Amino acid sequence: MAQLLSMPQLVAKDHYMMTIKMDCPSIRPGQFVNIRTNEGTDPLLRRPFSIYDADGSIIRVVIRVIGRGTEILCRMEPGEINMLAPLGNGFTVENAGEVLLVGGGVGNAPLLYLAKELKKAGNRVTYIYCSRGKNYIFGEDEFRSAVDEFLITTDDGSAGLRGFATEVAAHVISDIKFSRIYTCGPDPMMEKTVKLANPGAKVEVSVENYFGCGVGICVGCTVDTTDGYVRACVDGPVLDGRKIIWKNMPD
Amino acid sequence: MDTSVKIGSLTLKNPITVASGTAGYGEELSRFVDISKIGAVFTKGLSMKPRRGNPGNRIIETPSGVLNSIGLENVGLDEFIEKKLPFLVKSGAVTIPNVAAHSVEENIELCSILSKTPGIDAIELNVSCPNVKQGGMAFGTDMCVFTELVEQAREVTSCPLIIKLSPNVTDIASFALRAEEIGADAVSAINTLLGMKIDIKSRRPHFANKVAGLSGPAVRPVAVRIVYQIYQKVKIPIVGMGGISNIEDVLEFIMAGASAVSIGTASMVEPAVSGKLAGQLEDYMKKEGISSLDEIRGAAHRV
Repeated sequence: MAQLLSMPQLVAKDHYMMTIKMDCPSIRPGQFVNIRTNEGTDPLLRRPFSIYDADGSIIRVVIRVIGRGTEILCRMEPGEINMLAPLGNGFTVENAGEVLLVGGGVGNAPLLYLAKELKKAGNRVTYIYCSRGKNYIFGEDEFRSAVDEFLITTDDGSAGLRGFATEVAAHVISDIKFSRIYTCGPDPMMEKTVKLANPGAKVEVSVENYFGCGVGICVGCTVDTTDGYVRACVDGPVLDGRKIIWKNMPD
Repeated sequence: MDTSVKIGSLTLKNPITVASGTAGYGEELSRFVDISKIGAVFTKGLSMKPRRGNPGNRIIETPSGVLNSIGLENVGLDEFIEKKLPFLVKSGAVTIPNVAAHSVEENIELCSILSKTPGIDAIELNVSCPNVKQGGMAFGTDMCVFTELVEQAREVTSCPLIIKLSPNVTDIASFALRAEEIGADAVSAINTLLGMKIDIKSRRPHFANKVAGLSGPAVRPVAVRIVYQIYQKVKIPIVGMGGISNIEDVLEFIMAGASAVSIGTASMVEPAVSGKLAGQLEDYMKKEGISSLDEIRGAAHRV
């Protein structure tokens, strides 16, 4: 049984934080939760969210409000919620030396817990936080204190460097010192990050596409890769970025 | 109390099954459901060779429903038998593969091989998938093509044969009747209803295949009506499905005439639901003092 401990908190424009108590087995960075918005039939499907942070039996998730389902969730009263978790495979955490994390928008969410775990494993962590603008940035202080180098880019220049990270921070992304790169965000950002990465770096991406079930039974969330179709929900959401055939990503 | 259901020579321990297309190959669901405790697992639509399925968008939520355009992605016969079937057998599940090939010949080949494969308890012949260009629904909407396919399938299938009917016809009961005349052991209904989603921003169909299959609670009243109509025409068992999410829905289908029911879209929302429903059905029977489901099957016709 999962319990929503407090009303979801507004943490940035259109972004809410949920704090949830659950019986957790160990949670790996990059895994997600799947929450029902109501016990009726409309909206019908669960809504998936990556795990922003995990501390014992308490997890936090960030919700970006994009439609009716997420609007219902961000107004939920504290109490029992219907949540399946943890789901999905998660990022690889090991001591790889110098690592880079590139997050875009709500795609930054799964990278905080990852950054913390990578630090624990002995890595030196550089973080590029990309956002549309200052008002959309959540968790800035937490990210700053979790990593060694922290860089913000915004599309409109209202915070940090102005422009897309894959342009204004391209030299950082392509730095040969990084042996691993982790990214989550809009597809074009992830695709460019993979292209910019030095050839020796392993690149793990967390894809965010439309999930039906979240547990691998409906085959609705397929991603085309050089190994064939894989299901984002159970074979991912973390995939080898170099294997993804980006032009075949669904809308 | 007897919850068992007979489909030809096969006995299901209870009438709660999981529907093809939302049960994977059993293994995915087995994290949430003891698949030996439900009536049967109808596995993902199968072809001889692996099939990639449709490109692009494959699924979208609709009011109380889901539109899908998966396009019968599957591992193909060899991998199914080598890698998927052993798990189902080991788990003690009653296993009913769904046969969904492009051509009559390929369907017949699949029926022939599967019905001789140990571990296969019955075959569901899918003549009703709306999401493929060749075959699929075309088999289930033209009576001549339907007859030819079902006749040949019956000839080569030694295990129980279930025909999964398309609701996208004017008179589905006449297809059920034809299946019965040919010697099918049961019919299942309904497959998804043909639907469509248009993206108003791009002004184009949401799915690459343009049309898609609608399922979930939104289609339930249509499915109940269809099961009711089929029951009036045939004596063979009906596996009823279409938006079943809770015990009340299960009872509604049984009272319409279904011998067994399949849980489809609801497994996407609550993967554990089929196991729970099997228990709830027993609770209901105890509470109502019912010893066999025969007492309520088709009850809605006795007016």
